[in-house]
Amino acid sequence: MITVKNLSFSFGHRQLFSRLDFTIQRGELISILGPNGCGKSTLLRLLRGNLPPVTGEIYWHGMSCRQISPREMSRRVAVVPQSTRIDFPYRVQDMVAMGRYPHRRSLLSFSNAADREAIRHALVVTDILALADRPVTELSGGELQRVLFARALAQQAEVLFLDEATSHLDIDHRLELSELLIRLNREQGVTIVQISHDLDLAAATSGRIMLLNEHGEIIGFDTPERIMTPENLQRAFRVEVRIATNPLTGAPQVLPLLNTAAVQLDGLKVHLFCGGGSGKSLLRKLHLAKAAVSAGPLNQGDSDEEVATALNSAVVYEVPFQPFSEQAISTTRYALAQADAIVVATIWWGAGNLPCLDLAADALQKGTPVYLLNPTREQDFTTGKAWEKLQALQQAGAVIVANEEQLVNKLAKG
Amino acid sequence: MRRPIDRTGLLWILGLLLVPLGAITISLRAGSMDMSWAQLFHLLQQGPGSSVGQAVLWKIRIPRTLLAGLVGAALSLSGVTFQAVLRNPLADPYLLGVSGGAALGAVAALTIGINSAPLVSLAAFGGALTALAIVYLVARAHTCSSHTLILSGVMVGSVAAALLLFLLWRAPTEATRQAIFWLAGNLSLADPGWLGWGWGWVLVCFILLWSQAVNLDLLTQGEETAADLGLAVGRTRLILFALAGALTACAVALAGLVGFVGLVVPHICRLLWGPAHRLLLPLAALFGACFLMVADAIARSLYAPAEMPVGVVTALLGAPFFLLLLRRRGGL
Repeated sequence: MITVKNLSFSFGHRQLFSRLDFTIQRGELISILGPNGCGKSTLLRLLRGNLPPVTGEIYWHGMSCRQISPREMSRRVAVVPQSTRIDFPYRVQDMVAMGRYPHRRSLLSFSNAADREAIRHALVVTDILALADRPVTELSGGELQRVLFARALAQQAEVLFLDEATSHLDIDHRLELSELLIRLNREQGVTIVQISHDLDLAAATSGRIMLLNEHGEIIGFDTPERIMTPENLQRAFRVEVRIATNPLTGAPQVLPLLNTAAVQLDGLKVHLFCGGGSGKSLLRKLHLAKAAVSAGPLNQGDSDEEVATALNSAVVYEVPFQPFSEQAISTTRYALAQADAIVVATIWWGAGNLPCLDLAADALQKGTPVYLLNPTREQDFTTGKAWEKLQALQQAGAVIVANEEQLVNKLAKG
Repeated sequence: MRRPIDRTGLLWILGLLLVPLGAITISLRAGSMDMSWAQLFHLLQQGPGSSVGQAVLWKIRIPRTLLAGLVGAALSLSGVTFQAVLRNPLADPYLLGVSGGAALGAVAALTIGINSAPLVSLAAFGGALTALAIVYLVARAHTCSSHTLILSGVMVGSVAAALLLFLLWRAPTEATRQAIFWLAGNLSLADPGWLGWGWGWVLVCFILLWSQAVNLDLLTQGEETAADLGLAVGRTRLILFALAGALTACAVALAGLVGFVGLVVPHICRLLWGPAHRLLLPLAALFGACFLMVADAIARSLYAPAEMPVGVVTALLGAPFFLLLLRRRGGL
């Protein structure tokens, strides 16, 4: 029903969606998930034809979006917006009546008898009939959200787009509206595309989920069971989660792992080898666990250097874009002598940072434990020298850890 | 909120008949020549003629009343439109550089020695429309959002104000004095011959505007929502700006820069009858006309035979009334 071919878009210099291709069938219930700023709302506006794509084309029933008039489009799809600024005190029923605009025949009014029936129905199912005569400016955020929902329902379109439409609602109304969505979808065959932040609700209610990463690229577009995996969610949201099965619904359920903050390292002196962003989140986690962190050598302006400096860690600095100098190496050696534990989180290896591994080997020999965070040979630009040294470290007793959470736990156990 | 037919409908209809009648009578009686109710009624029955009373009523007062009504209605309609389209409660008919352009046109005409009222009006009219066109073209180069429109309006207005100051500085004293009269808003300047044209213009604009009432409602919901509901936003907004600009230009050309009416009458009407434009537009036109007729009557009678600038009265009358309503209803 909606076919997207080769879609790209950009806001100024910011490129979103490089060449998306997907199809939405009639009668589907789809959730779009992704981190803030990944372009979920923009994607809806593109699908709706409110924004022209930079490349590619969007087809509704095989007809290009550009050829469909605004009026015709508004009969096909209704949109429940995120939340709007309301400045004018329209009565609730007048506002819902605006949903009849695409169907109106008279110049001066929104509603004939058939329209009034649709309006009343929308008011009833969203539970705001009692508010019908109240000015919308006096409503709470949740009530207003239901008015916006009712307006979209009054539009009686075959497709419904929701942009975080349940985000301001109490749990009872959130569930109620979710049930309403499912009913609309099953009984009336309304195609629903919703943007959601509630992963569990999306998993429980959607037929398919589109998961986007921060650049608006599709990580996956499939059933909730296939999409809601720890690996996918790590790629999309950069969080570590476990997935359980909801005992009542059988839907996948996301359990965020927040325990790193609970682990206390109480001043444990940890030295971290990192760079190029490989240590950013680990620095934050160690800081939250109250470890005394030192890091380096780090080139000034490196994103890890900025985080470490901001967190008041002891940083061994190096001039930007330079291989590590003798002086930096000897300062680091001094820092390692003080440390209780050493972590190697570096991903990219080159001639410049290769001496770090020798430093780690020395420290290991002197009895300081060394942890290797998820070592790989893929980013080794030293013709294998770094990988050899890493393996040698491992044989000498360095511990390999798979992820940051595991690392922090191991550090806590000593 | 409230509709005249819903609640004690008869009272509202009675009010809507009596208020204009009252305003017209007050306006007709005001002036340096006293006129009792009986005299007024008698003269109205007699029709135009050669007696002093007839001449005063039919040649001076009735045109004056009609002019006040026209200007009041035009400014209110334009204020309603600008506030809705820009979604800004502080918007008024002069926001988008219209006043600056009109003033510049009129003062330019005055300083080069043109003294006849019709030509000055025409110059003001041209200036207003030119300013509006520039603002629109500048804003269209970008997204034409309400922020860009307001900002470019303010900028065009500033340039016009600077040129205006320059002209006033260069101008002979007599022209400066006239220009100040005109800038303060003055209902005595217009040529009665233009009245028919003015009313025709306002009536046409009103009918066109009223046909857009539902579109105005949609635009108050924001550009995106209006588009989601199927409105061709760009085109509609252009039509509405053109209509509001045409109304303002007409008012300014005939009476100079009468302040406050276009800002406060829409708010008062919205507080009384709610924001739905199907009802708001005609009522604002009616109420704005009455408001300016009464304000003008007061301006003429307080220091008769001298005449106060009507802008003084509109502000002194409108602001307290507005604040009172605001206090009673609590919020816009």
